[in-house]
Amino acid sequence: MPSNRPKPDFSDVESGSSSTAPRPSTPASERSYTVRKGDSLSKIAKREYGDAQQWRRIYEANRETIENPDLIYPGQVIRIPE
Amino acid sequence: MIARFRLASLLAGAAVLTSSGCKKDSESAATKDVAMAPAEEVKISSVELGRQVGPDKRVTAQQDDFTPRDTIYASVLTTGSAPTATVVARWTFEDGQVVKEDSRSIAPNGAEATEFHISKPSGWPKGEYKLTVSVGGSTQSKDFEVK
Repeated sequence: MPSNRPKPDFSDVESGSSSTAPRPSTPASERSYTVRKGDSLSKIAKREYGDAQQWRRIYEANRETIENPDLIYPGQVIRIPE
Repeated sequence: MIARFRLASLLAGAAVLTSSGCKKDSESAATKDVAMAPAEEVKISSVELGRQVGPDKRVTAQQDDFTPRDTIYASVLTTGSAPTATVVARWTFEDGQVVKEDSRSIAPNGAEATEFHISKPSGWPKGEYKLTVSVGGSTQSKDFEVK
């Protein structure tokens, strides 16, 4: 029988993590880019690499700061791997 | 207060504008694999749950039942080495409702322990929960209960 209980609200859940392993080192060939209004990862990839599908490279290099690759914000500083 | 609301509205609008172009050129984030890091050799050896972890990032006393006010710790033990690997922890409630999803990029060198923890100031609803962790192609799940 389906439950009529309303779904609980988990929006206030707090979280964190730590590890014995170090963070991956940042390659010297990376540089930073400040997101502008109207940017998306695919647009940045198109501009930087000439291929919009390369947005994954940028996303992977910024996994710690970009939670959702469809949501980046003007003023956000991201790393552009070479 | 009004200025703060206006600022929030502007930021929200800007975020929508900023995000609008991504879906045109690529698939939606909802359909993408969350663990894409090149970590072929890194595998999960075990997952531990408990109320606290030690300096070695391992759970000090394993358990699978908690109280609503507990901070829940998970220690993900991995083997293998890679310049970069992404450990993903997905916490779900009963029918699959996502409680929280976190990831951590690591550069593992042999046996490592990565801990994730969650807390809920207003208290955890009682019921069955599941933690699913993955790194590369290695996945493990752990069930626990809040009583």
